[in-house]
Amino acid sequence: MSKAWRVSIVVVGLAVLHFLLHVGFGLGDVAPDLLTVALLVGVREVDVGWGAGIGLVLGLLEDAFAALAFGASTVAMTIVGAAGARTRDLFVGDSLTFLASYLFVGKWLRDLVYWIAVGEGLRQPFVESMLIGSGLAAAYATVVGVVAIAISGSWWETVR
Amino acid sequence: MSAYHMGEGLKPAGHRQTITALVIVGVALVALLAPPAQQQRLASLLRNSVLRPFVTMQEGLAAARLHSISTKEFQARLDATVSALANYRTLAEENRRLRQLLALAVRLDTAYLPASVLRPGTAGSESMFLLDVGSDQGISVNAPVIASEGLIGVVREVGAGMSIGMDWTHPDFRASAMTVDGEIYGFVRVERGLFREGDRLLLDGVPFYNSLEPGMAVVTSGLGGVFPRGIAIGTVDQLAAETVSWLRSYWLRPAVLPGTATHVLVAVGSISERPTDLTEAMGDSTMRRNGPGDSLEGPGS
Repeated sequence: MSKAWRVSIVVVGLAVLHFLLHVGFGLGDVAPDLLTVALLVGVREVDVGWGAGIGLVLGLLEDAFAALAFGASTVAMTIVGAAGARTRDLFVGDSLTFLASYLFVGKWLRDLVYWIAVGEGLRQPFVESMLIGSGLAAAYATVVGVVAIAISGSWWETVR
Repeated sequence: MSAYHMGEGLKPAGHRQTITALVIVGVALVALLAPPAQQQRLASLLRNSVLRPFVTMQEGLAAARLHSISTKEFQARLDATVSALANYRTLAEENRRLRQLLALAVRLDTAYLPASVLRPGTAGSESMFLLDVGSDQGISVNAPVIASEGLIGVVREVGAGMSIGMDWTHPDFRASAMTVDGEIYGFVRVERGLFREGDRLLLDGVPFYNSLEPGMAVVTSGLGGVFPRGIAIGTVDQLAAETVSWLRSYWLRPAVLPGTATHVLVAVGSISERPTDLTEAMGDSTMRRNGPGDSLEGPGS
């Protein structure tokens, strides 16, 4: 099986698992944000335009249940998708440190853009939300993401 | 493993990709800023297509959880209901006679439909819940959602067989409230904490000359036309703040913690069909005596 196919299967698998845990089992914050992990893994293999497109689709799916903050996740995922795809032009590496930093910063950036886009009425205070809440969520997603990538064998080495 | 290093930057062919990305970011911004009706249509389309299997799965799990409740517990609940009904019959008869004496019209009952509460658990869906009933069953926007212990929230969006509700932890939630004796009025809203777990119910707008004791029950007042009168909201916990010689606000201990609710009742019919403002049902003489917004009727009568 080619690497592109393996990564595609991992991305779709993580996205399905995300909705299975969050919506199917209703686990909420107990389950990690696998949708962002899926996005960050997938966009390392595509160009910026495709990265933004994948982010748009995944963000819209996430927003389907956000009745009063519709679009905030879409914007956040689209920007992170484009930025993630852009990183392969700037950083090339497959070390564990790089992978962990990439997932952590990607997830934190996604939460930051979401925090900005969601509007003043719905957002929590910055320090508690972004520095503590999102920091922990990013660490959780990073650990789960690294494990998922290691198990699936979709460890990348993107050299163009 | 190789160390990471700086790449070559954007290649000329990458400019087209960058423009495509910017266009897609623009599309995402349009989704964010689109009118709510358009957003709801798109969200509903996604919920009822790609995401439907996940919702169905949670519905199945909720049903299985409900079925797993032991017969003994059901029997206990049935006994409690029968006991409450036995007392209600006497009260209803007394109420009917008193209403005749005061020349009040017969009060209409609110019809409720049982529903299961589903939590999406995705980003941005905090304070929201799904209900497995919709317009097909007569549910309309702004229908109150209650549990046996009290008020949970209100329906915000209605689809054919599914609705989306907002519980009292949502910043947009407001309910007109009063003490259970009908003496003191105010409105209830949520006060955000530093973390979501710190969100608390606040009874605001209590006149300064009124003082509430901890433990006093607070119920919906029926004013505003959304919530019927007499649904339990919570009990007074302590004084939150006071504006000198003007208003007081009190922290409330909620009657229901929304996260614990799995099975609820949703009011059926549109707002115009639901008896929310009891002054409409009063006789002319009573209206003249008390003015609009007042009611001689106590909650639950």
